[in-house]
Amino acid sequence: MLGEFINPYYLQIGSFILINIILAISIYVTLSSGQLSLGSAGFMGIGAYTSALLTIHFDLPILVGIIAGSLVAGICGIIVGLPSLRLSGVYLAIATLGFGEVMRVFFVNWESVTKGAVGLSGIPHIGRELLNFFRDAGFDPSSIGMRNNQFTYLLVLILLLLINIFIIWFFVRQNKSRVGRAFAAIKMDEKAAEAMGINITYYKVLSFTQGAILAGFAGALFAHVLAYISPADFAYHRAIEILIFAVFGGSEVILGAIFGATFMTIMPEALRFISEYRYMIYGLVLIFMMAFRPQGIIDENIMQWLKKKLPSKRGRSHGSRNQKHM
Amino acid sequence: MRQIGKKSLVLISALMLVLLAACGGNSSQSSGEGDKGGTINAKIGVISYLTGPGAAYGEAITNGFKLAQKEINEKGKVNIELVIEDSAGKQEQALSASQKLMSDDEIVALLGPTLSTEMNVVGPEADLNGIPIMGTSTTAEGIPQIGEYVFRNSIPEALAIPVAMEKAVKKYDVKKVALIYGNDDVFTKSGFDTMKEEVEKMDLEVVTTQTFQKGQSDYNAQLTKIKGLNPDLILASALYNEGAVIMDQARKMGITVPFVGGNGFNSPEVINIAGKAADGLFVATPWFSEKEDPKVQEFIKKYETEYGKKPDQFAAQAYDALYIMAEGLKNAGEADRDALRDALAEIKDLEGILGSFSFDKDGDVEMDPIVLTIKDGKFQIFE
Repeated sequence: MLGEFINPYYLQIGSFILINIILAISIYVTLSSGQLSLGSAGFMGIGAYTSALLTIHFDLPILVGIIAGSLVAGICGIIVGLPSLRLSGVYLAIATLGFGEVMRVFFVNWESVTKGAVGLSGIPHIGRELLNFFRDAGFDPSSIGMRNNQFTYLLVLILLLLINIFIIWFFVRQNKSRVGRAFAAIKMDEKAAEAMGINITYYKVLSFTQGAILAGFAGALFAHVLAYISPADFAYHRAIEILIFAVFGGSEVILGAIFGATFMTIMPEALRFISEYRYMIYGLVLIFMMAFRPQGIIDENIMQWLKKKLPSKRGRSHGSRNQKHM
Repeated sequence: MRQIGKKSLVLISALMLVLLAACGGNSSQSSGEGDKGGTINAKIGVISYLTGPGAAYGEAITNGFKLAQKEINEKGKVNIELVIEDSAGKQEQALSASQKLMSDDEIVALLGPTLSTEMNVVGPEADLNGIPIMGTSTTAEGIPQIGEYVFRNSIPEALAIPVAMEKAVKKYDVKKVALIYGNDDVFTKSGFDTMKEEVEKMDLEVVTTQTFQKGQSDYNAQLTKIKGLNPDLILASALYNEGAVIMDQARKMGITVPFVGGNGFNSPEVINIAGKAADGLFVATPWFSEKEDPKVQEFIKKYETEYGKKPDQFAAQAYDALYIMAEGLKNAGEADRDALRDALAEIKDLEGILGSFSFDKDGDVEMDPIVLTIKDGKFQIFE
C-alpha cells in the first residue's frame, strides 16, 4: 500500500535538503545587501543550543523552543551586526568567522550547561513528538498502511516543506519591496545608496539580522531533527559548507541558493555507490565551477532565459510588476 | 536539443544502474532461499567513516570486517553479506546512511558508525525501528543505554582507564596527580570525566587540571605549570597524535613522572612520534598485538598479507564484532532482526582475539582489559 512507496531514506535526505535551503537563504539575504558573513554556523549553533536547552530543561513545546532559538540568534545578530558594520568585504568575513569560532569555543567551555564537547543528547525529535500527538488524537499510521518511521519522517518533511514555501515566498516578496530594492542599491554602491537617502545602517543591520534569524531557525530545526548536537557541528566547516550552497548555486538570485543547497546535499548521497571517491568528485565539481562559472550556476541571465521559456507562468507576474510601476 | 538528448542519456544510464542494482539484490535473495544446507544467509549493514580526516579509522574497521567475513563465510555455517556505507564522520550523513540500510528489509543488523557522536544520532533511530546495532569503536558513556537494540563491543573508557590508573597508582605510590585533556573532543572529554571520577574515588590530590585543543602543537604553557607543582603522576586524556607530542615536550622539559592515558592514546604511533620520550606511558586496552595467543598472531599475519599493514585495535575490534554477529545469527537460527537481538543479548564468554567477551544487561562490554606500558620503546604487558 502507501507504505511501500515511501522510503524513510529519501524522506530523511529531503528534510536535510530543506534545512540546508533555509541556511542557504540565510546567507543569500546577507549577500543581497553586499555583506559577506561567515557567521551563519555560529548563529545556527545559538539557535540549536537555545532551543535544545529550553525543550530539555523546561519541557517547553518544540515550537516555543524553535521560536526562542531564532529570536536569540536574531538578537545576537543585531549585537554583532552593529559594530561590524564598519567592516566590509573580506574584513567582515573574517570578523564573522571569528564570531562563529568564539561561539563554538563558548559551547565547548560552558560545560555545566552545554555538556562541552560531549554534546547534548535526548533532544525532543519533531517527528516523534508529532507521532505521539497523532496517537493521542486516536490516529494510527498503520491504518493508512504506513510504518511508524515512515509516518514520522513524512510528517517532518511536510512540515519543513511548508516552512520552506513560506520563507521563499517571503523573501521573493521582500526582494520586490522597498527593503529589497534598498538591499540591491547598497550592494551596487553604498555611497550612491546613501546619497539617494537610504538609511544604510538600518538596512545593513536588517539584512544581517534576517540572516542570523534564519540561521538560528535552521539550527533549531536541525537540533530537533537530529535529536543530538555537539559543538563540532557548528565549526567553520559548516560555515564554509553553507557559503558553498549559495556560491555554487549562484548568489545573485534566490533560486540559485535553493538550487545550490539541493544539489550539494543530493550529490554526496547520489554518489554513494563510488564510496571513497565521492568527496573527490565533490571537490572537482567545485573547482570546475569556479573556473567556468564563478558567478554560480544560476544567475540573472539564466533567470531571464527561464522566464522566456516559461511564458505562461511568468507572464502574470510580469503583468503585476508593470502595474506597480504605473 | 542536443543537450536534452545528452540529459536523457544520463538519465537513462542512471536508471539502468538502479535497475542493475535492484537485480543484484533480487538474485542474491533467491540464491539465499535456494540454499537449504543449514546455512543462514544474512545481510549486515556497515556504517563507517571512509572519507575525511578520520578515514584511517574507518578503513581499519572495514578491513577488519572484510577479513572476518571471508573467514566466517568459508566456514559455511553463516553466510554474511556486508553492505558498506560511508558517513564521512558527520551525523547527518550517518543518519542518512542508516536510513538507507534500515529501509532494506533484508538487512538484519547494523555495525558502526565509527564515532560516538554519530552513534548518538543513529542509535535511537535504529532502536525505534527495531534493528540491532553494534558499535565497534564507540567508547563514550551512555551508548548502549540508548535502547535495547543498541550494543557495542568496544571497551568503554569508563572500564579501561580505572584499571590502568589503579595499577600505576599502586606501583608508584601516587598521592598527587595532574590532569591534562583535550576539551573540544568527545572522546578525550569523556575520558577526562572518567579520570576525574576515579581520582575522587581513590582520594588523590589534584594539583592542576589543564586543557588543550585538537591540533595544538605547543604544550609548554600547560607543562610548565604542571612541572612547577610536582605531581607524582600525569593523567592525560588525549588522542595519540596530540598525546605523543605532549609526552615528548614533557620529557624535554624534565618531567619524568609516568603518564596514564585512555584508549585513544594506545597506538604504536606514539612510539613513532615520541621515540624514547614515550617510555613510562600506561594504557589499558583489550588489544595487544604481541600477545602469545595463536589466534591473535594468525589474525595479524592474515591482515598483513591482505592489506599490507599491521592491524590496530580498531581493526581487531571490528574483526571480533563480526564474529559476535555470526555467533548471534547461529544462535538465533534465522536471519531475523528481533531473534538476532535476543540472541546477541545472551552472548556470554565468546572467545575472540580480544579475549573472552560477554554483553552485560545493557548491551555493554564485559571483559578484562590488559594494562600495557611502554618500556625501551616497546609496548609491554604491565604486571
